[in-house]
Amino acid sequence: MSIPHIIVIGAGSTGSATAHDLALRGLRVTLIERGDIASGTTGRTHCLLHSGGRYCVNDPEAAAECIVENRIIRNIIPDLLELNDGLFVALTEADLAFKERFLEGCATCHIPARELPITHALEIEPFLNRGALAAVQVPDAVFEPVRFCLAFLATAQQHGAVVRRFTEVTDFLYAGGCVSGVKVKDHRTGKTENIGADLIINAAGPWVGSVAAMAGISVPVKPTAGVMVTLDGRLNNMVLNRLSPPSDGDIVVPQRATSIIGTTSWEVEDPDVIPAPADHVAKMLAQGEQLLPAVQKIPVRARVAAARPLIVKGDKEAREASRTFECFDHQDDGVEGFVTIAGGKMTTARAMAERVSDLVCKKLGVAVACRTRNVPLVSYRLFYQGGSYA
Amino acid sequence: MLEITLQIFRYKTGESPHYDTFTVQVAESASVLDALDVVWAKHDHSLTYRRACHHSACGVCALRINGLEKLPCVTPVSSVWDGHTPLRLNPLRNFPVVSDLIVDVTGLFQRLSASDLEITRDAEPTLPLSVDNLADLGTRMEPEPVEPPENLTRFNRFESCIECGICMSACPTVAADDKFLGPAGLAAIYDERHKTGDPREVAHLLALADGEHGVWRCHSAYECTEACPQAVDPAGKIMALRRELIANRLKKGRRK
Repeated sequence: MSIPHIIVIGAGSTGSATAHDLALRGLRVTLIERGDIASGTTGRTHCLLHSGGRYCVNDPEAAAECIVENRIIRNIIPDLLELNDGLFVALTEADLAFKERFLEGCATCHIPARELPITHALEIEPFLNRGALAAVQVPDAVFEPVRFCLAFLATAQQHGAVVRRFTEVTDFLYAGGCVSGVKVKDHRTGKTENIGADLIINAAGPWVGSVAAMAGISVPVKPTAGVMVTLDGRLNNMVLNRLSPPSDGDIVVPQRATSIIGTTSWEVEDPDVIPAPADHVAKMLAQGEQLLPAVQKIPVRARVAAARPLIVKGDKEAREASRTFECFDHQDDGVEGFVTIAGGKMTTARAMAERVSDLVCKKLGVAVACRTRNVPLVSYRLFYQGGSYA
Repeated sequence: MLEITLQIFRYKTGESPHYDTFTVQVAESASVLDALDVVWAKHDHSLTYRRACHHSACGVCALRINGLEKLPCVTPVSSVWDGHTPLRLNPLRNFPVVSDLIVDVTGLFQRLSASDLEITRDAEPTLPLSVDNLADLGTRMEPEPVEPPENLTRFNRFESCIECGICMSACPTVAADDKFLGPAGLAAIYDERHKTGDPREVAHLLALADGEHGVWRCHSAYECTEACPQAVDPAGKIMALRRELIANRLKKGRRK
């Protein structure tokens, strides 16, 4: 049998990691992206490599996934991370009362956590609210979303994967009741063509619903937006989280010379354009000011909104929806040769790729194990030298 | 809301280049990239432009706004639009145009690979405090270097350069010498040279800077430093490399 050809739709973190996983297993891979790399949700994530601390009390399954992947990412792309850890900071008596549950949650999920003397935390973070009551250190880190994807893709290219940017899937092709390829339009040339495949993976993030709809299938993913406010100055060395259950504006992620305050949560119909609502921006600044009183002194550099691809089942509110991920084999919907991977966090992109690639290999009868846990990625700069403009 | 008119450079393989004009509504606080996103989403899905982070971390959206190189993601519409003259958007100069506002940035990344600069650096003692008037908030203006706890012996940072290509587009020498290492490439050599103490690496980096397409080709126009959205100051770094090269030559001369 010839080597199977897989089409992956979407060059965000999930699609990029999936292209790498499958290429490393020796499969032929074509990644198709209607815009540029990470031009959707991935580009506009909070740049946070989660320790899992945020979820350890309310969503332990997602928290456990985060810390496992956090360790792996540190090993495979150490050059693409700001490694300064994170602090969960108590500002009120209610926050302080949450501390024991937080420490227990970290222990249950195997997240290294230790309380710092508050004087010490205030020394490390000179802009932190001087009234802070407690601080717990966890292994949060900061990444760069675009370069994260480029590193996966540059490595995938070295293993033969083809990346088609600015190329939009406009329809599916079928043969004998089975999806057999896609019709695409290359927006750089205006030309359309058909590309055949043995199997198609839908990794379009909050757009998985509209991609699946082209095949007449629905997936339980609700695009749920969040706002981030980037300040024109860096006020923290470490990631600063509010020591409390997840809520709006509970985190300030530093990156380069900026601090990024996030985030909120509301459902959106169309993830293509999401203006950042002024009241959400004001709320972020007010919440950020509680952790870092100097926030009000710094000009705002950017206001950003993007949609998370949350898997929502039943009547759960989006904030309560698990941040874990799920793979859907559309054989169960009567369409063979088509699977969707959705949900998750950028931190867990590699694990999502492993899950969907395992399913794909099983379906195609390919007995090759996943190797992405241990293979370091090549320099992201090689992506642009890999013929991506050809 | 603001109603803004954009005049956008269009080009597809095999067709003649032209401008298309779009009028869109955006929030008062919107960036030029927000306006482009609306053009793409509501008016013309065939428009190709680059975007990702929307907050000046990734560098991919760089283009020219009314002729000047900018990151549209952090350029408020209100800062560049006079209220009636259409805002003209063009791709960067000195790179091959692929389609519409997209250019082929391979040359930039080849130049950056020459010095192999890592994008993170270590051993930052504390925050780069550039913020005025913080004293009244009870925060210290210039905190003394702190003794971080056990495993936090140093803070680590991404380099300031976001590899956007703006300096290459603004540079008059790049336009004249397509092998010139360019502002970003030479600034990367400078940064890498100051990260290493290994004499062989230093010699290698200085030889790169001293080469036919190195620091001596620069016309000292300082357009790169003027246009850089990240205050990398490539021209200043090029001058510093020249000073080091000259000093080394003088030292060699004295030893003879």
